Amino acid sequence: MSVLAAERPGPVAGRGSGAPARRAVIRWGWRLFLREWRRHVLILAMLAVAVAATIVGLGASTNAVQLKADPTFGTASTVIILRGSDPRLGADIAALRARIGPVDVVAHQQVAVPGSVSTVDLRDQAPGGRFDGGTLRLDSGRYPAGSREVAVTRSTARLFGLEIGSSWTANGRTRRVVGIVENPLDLLDQFALVAPGQLAAPTSVSILTDWQPGPGDGLRLPSGTGMLISSRGKPGTAAVDAVVLALGTLGLLFVGLMAVSGFTVMAQRRLRALGMLASLGATDKHVRLVMLADGAAVGIVGAVAGGVAGLAAWFAFVPTLQSLSGHRIDRFALPWWAVGVSLVLAALTAIGAAWWPARSVTRMSVVAALSGRPSRPQPAHRFAAAGAVVLAGGLALLFFSDHGSEQRRAWFIILGTFATPVGLLLLAPLAIRILAAVGRHTGVAARLAVRDLVRYQARSGAALASVTLAIGIAATIAVSAAASDAPRAAGNLPTDQLMVYTSPDTPSDQVPPLSPSQLQTVTARLDALAGAIHARAVVALQQAYSPAAGLQPAQPGPGGRTVPAGYAAASLSQVTVQGHAISISRVDPLYVATPSLLAYFHIAPSAIDPGADVLSARTDLGGLKIFTPEFHAGPNPQPGSLPAGRAQLWDVTPRIQAFKQLPLYTSDPGTLLTSGALHRIGLEAVTAAWLIQAPGPLTGRQIQTARATAAGVGLYVETAAKQASLAPLRNWSTVVGILLALGVLGMTVGLIRSETAGDLRTLAATGATSTTRRAITGATSGALALLGALLGTAGAYAALLVWYRSDLSPLGRVPVANLAVILAGLPLLAAVGGWLFAGREPPEIARRPLE
Amino acid sequence: MTVLELREVSKVYGDGPAEVHALADVSMTVDDGELVAVMGPSGSGKSTLLTIAGTLEEPTRGQVLVGGAAVSGMSRNDRARLRRRSIGYVFQDFNLLAGLTAAENVSLPLELDGMPGKPARAAGLRALEELGLGERAASFPDELSGGERQRVAIARAVVGERRLLLADEPSGALDSANGEAVMRLIRAACHSGVGGVVVTHDAQLASWADRVVFLRDGRVVDQTAPIPGPESLLAPER
Amino acid sequence: MSIRHALLALLSEGPKYGLQLRQEFEARTGEVWPLNVGQVYTTLQRLERDSLVESDGAEDGPQTQKGFRITGDGEAELAAWLLTPPDLSSPPRDELVIKVLIAAQLPGVDARQVAQAHRRYLVQLMQEWTRLKEYAADRDLGFGLAVDAELFRLDAVVRWLDAADGRIKRASLERLDADRAPLPKLPRKAVVRP
Repeated sequence: MSVLAAERPGPVAGRGSGAPARRAVIRWGWRLFLREWRRHVLILAMLAVAVAATIVGLGASTNAVQLKADPTFGTASTVIILRGSDPRLGADIAALRARIGPVDVVAHQQVAVPGSVSTVDLRDQAPGGRFDGGTLRLDSGRYPAGSREVAVTRSTARLFGLEIGSSWTANGRTRRVVGIVENPLDLLDQFALVAPGQLAAPTSVSILTDWQPGPGDGLRLPSGTGMLISSRGKPGTAAVDAVVLALGTLGLLFVGLMAVSGFTVMAQRRLRALGMLASLGATDKHVRLVMLADGAAVGIVGAVAGGVAGLAAWFAFVPTLQSLSGHRIDRFALPWWAVGVSLVLAALTAIGAAWWPARSVTRMSVVAALSGRPSRPQPAHRFAAAGAVVLAGGLALLFFSDHGSEQRRAWFIILGTFATPVGLLLLAPLAIRILAAVGRHTGVAARLAVRDLVRYQARSGAALASVTLAIGIAATIAVSAAASDAPRAAGNLPTDQLMVYTSPDTPSDQVPPLSPSQLQTVTARLDALAGAIHARAVVALQQAYSPAAGLQPAQPGPGGRTVPAGYAAASLSQVTVQGHAISISRVDPLYVATPSLLAYFHIAPSAIDPGADVLSARTDLGGLKIFTPEFHAGPNPQPGSLPAGRAQLWDVTPRIQAFKQLPLYTSDPGTLLTSGALHRIGLEAVTAAWLIQAPGPLTGRQIQTARATAAGVGLYVETAAKQASLAPLRNWSTVVGILLALGVLGMTVGLIRSETAGDLRTLAATGATSTTRRAITGATSGALALLGALLGTAGAYAALLVWYRSDLSPLGRVPVANLAVILAGLPLLAAVGGWLFAGREPPEIARRPLE
Repeated sequence: MTVLELREVSKVYGDGPAEVHALADVSMTVDDGELVAVMGPSGSGKSTLLTIAGTLEEPTRGQVLVGGAAVSGMSRNDRARLRRRSIGYVFQDFNLLAGLTAAENVSLPLELDGMPGKPARAAGLRALEELGLGERAASFPDELSGGERQRVAIARAVVGERRLLLADEPSGALDSANGEAVMRLIRAACHSGVGGVVVTHDAQLASWADRVVFLRDGRVVDQTAPIPGPESLLAPER
Repeated sequence: MSIRHALLALLSEGPKYGLQLRQEFEARTGEVWPLNVGQVYTTLQRLERDSLVESDGAEDGPQTQKGFRITGDGEAELAAWLLTPPDLSSPPRDELVIKVLIAAQLPGVDARQVAQAHRRYLVQLMQEWTRLKEYAADRDLGFGLAVDAELFRLDAVVRWLDAADGRIKRASLERLDADRAPLPKLPRKAVVRP
């Protein structure tokens, strides 16, 4: 008789697997998924959270970091600004159009806000322009038509108390408000829109074009008047942004690791069942298929759930992000290709993650699988060597990616961000070994916990990897947020301060002197105002001038206003001498350090070095000079040019004394001229402004009151300008990153400890109390968290060192608090959490579930 | 016809000083319809013998022939096919796949071999009914008693046209009544033409076999003679 | 085996004739222990002498025709007997045990081989009993119980052989080691307590 197997006609030719076999195996995989759904919930949740976080991260980084168009340029690459005073404006524009092709023309006129230093841009812009179409959007009502209609932004409407239907008189013309508009690329852009061609006397005209000025490629206007040409670099044509790329890569790696750690544990659980399947005559392919079916189920469910959750979170987050970033965000303006790819990849990653442990099951002998013995862990040094190579490669790729330049190499960024953490993670087994060596000298609980981590290297390695990555992401965010936070506070004023000036052109170059009676009236009014807004302090501010220069004549100011005659104020300036031409650019106004101002800043006069000229908290004032015009400028001063010969004061290089408590806001009196310097240089002080300190952030009504008061006595108010800042976003991401790390840690430790229920049962049988159980769980999670925190932070710093290679100084700003939380707080929290949650006796101790 | 033949099979685990000779030059044959018990204390190599006979492990030396075909030259996939077509296993305690009903467990080897779901399920149900488990067909393993689980495992081991039934302490975790029931089923399977091998340390279990092979330290040291008819015991008085 | 008490047990169900008692005894013990007529009547006579049973037939009539009935004393005796454990405290003089003991101490004899010879014989015996059980035990409770008793008895002997085998193997290994290793040093000051 021949072979038994051949006696029976094989239903399927060849290898004899066929569709029925696959169906049967997939059915079993699906049943396992349904059966062990509680275990899968952890992996599913991890996957879904990772996918959701990736989607929100993609949306935020795409929309907050990368704009499709510029708020000023639109999609144009060059803006040419012509003076409104050009007598042959029309002809000039026509000539430009003939020379450089299609253009968008926007005319501007400044409208003064009564009682305020700020102005509103009255804009003559056609909606739907070729380049500037993206900078104009109608929110409600309609676009203006004809000469008697206007549309305004919400902020303008608030400023002037307007609504649709009301009429508004600006620069001598009365128009009816017919619509509310905005610049979707800059929600803080405050302007009013008139119908095209309805601005009779524009202050300036911007011409938007995609023409680029080349070398020696000068433009000349028929009228011969000057113009200002500014270009931005190539519009962001790079389809992928470095940040988006890095984020997406990290997100997916994260998803993959979560899934691998989950499925490794799962495969360990199913080892005997898989061995059984093999003993029944399933081929290796069938065995893998079981895990793959499970992985596919988890991957697809996780990706869909994560996608839905991510989109919901993104939609909920859009308004917040909009107000943070200051531009309109289309909630559907997600990088859909990236979202789609990350969903597909998440599912594929889960399948791959399921495949990996399935592969190692099929590589061990059926007998070993049947007896449920895990295979021997690979020697750690082999991993470590590979890890070191991959880590070095990843860092090298990041180094050569030229991410800051135009010619960045996208693939280098992707591979680098991928390889760096992977290399780090391959070092994880070595780290666990080192920890085990250290832990040998501790108590029985810690020793047992650490030894378990070594024994079950496959799952502890994957768990450590995901914890490391989560912490690495948190650390990267914290460190890079601190690095990119400029030390100089952004903004003109804090929200709880008012500055009141005597001149509309602020901070004043030219300070109109007030007579004593005027001063008395003004002080009384301001005191009344201070009372009305419950101000804590009103400080009169003085600026310095050279009596030699005398009173300068009145000049035209912004918004069609006139800057009255006054003294030219001293300032800190950059003075550049080039042959006979001397250019002066004002950097910081100087206020006199009066005793009341010093008292306001809590600076004792005795603390001031008698030789010091200037007091400031700024550190970037080196090389600047105290500049005071010492001449009569005449009716029409040319900016930046001065008659030669009277140069003695330009050379006053100040001695600067640093006072940390002085403010860094641009309009605050943060740079002070000492009274000693005042006398040494021979300057005199004149009251130029008042600082009013309110008890809290000023409300719109309080600002209105202040403006009305100021308008009544011919003064001008400046308040905090709204400013888009991503700082809160960074803080949020740090918090979210740390929470994510904690969550992952909790999940993985839970997963690992639930797998060692057998050990716990044995321990309980040998009389271990719940304290031992708590100690073991606490030690496990604490050890994992500590290792993860160390590796993650080290990896983050390594990557950032390479990333910031051209200028490492930002990394000097270490986010001490955040890192302390990560390095000390997180392990502590994890250990305490493990201790607390391990108190309950696991039901498995009493009853072993059927496998 | 010989369904299983071992020719001077040796198995060595480990190497160097840690070398363990689990089996040394074991030869035996099992014919169809015959139940052979391999008896020995723990550590005598009897489980290794079973896994080698079942193509789950490869011998270090020697040849294994299942149904006349040498296993040594086969690929992993060929051996898997041999297992699902010709060999049925019954283990001591862990036998059924959780998540599949009794009937699905029984029909799994058929489906793995490419039989479409419906006929496979029908064959599985038939096998269960023959063992008196028809009404438990839709139950999951954790809803069955220990004895029922072993009986389902036997049904799975003989479903289709298996010729070789390998059992490792099949009644080890059962009480004597259930153990006897399991052995009766194995006997019945052998009566229908299957060759069976039971490895055990238990003489009562082994006494169900037609032939008992004694294994000591990896070697076959002895075996029983064929049993005389059942009347022999009562003969003196009759 | 107490035929005396077995007969008392049969009579406790009701009065029976002598021949009937023999047939029922054989049936109930699964015909494992055959009984001849003489044994039955000798036993019945002794029971009657001890007034544990009483007969209803004529004093000199044929014994086979006599009916027997259990007395109150007989019932008390039966109840006491059922609850009295048999005397197992002193080991029976088992020939097999003695053979293996001697083999283990005789030089030049492989005691394990001796044990295996007995084991094979015992297992063969068990196979035969099992075969009997396979064919008949379901039909007859008494037979099943009796066969089980025999199987468990033989099984116990096989187990003893297995244990003995292990013990002999360990002892031979230790002897090998002891031959190689130097004699263990005895403590110098051995205090013997009274």
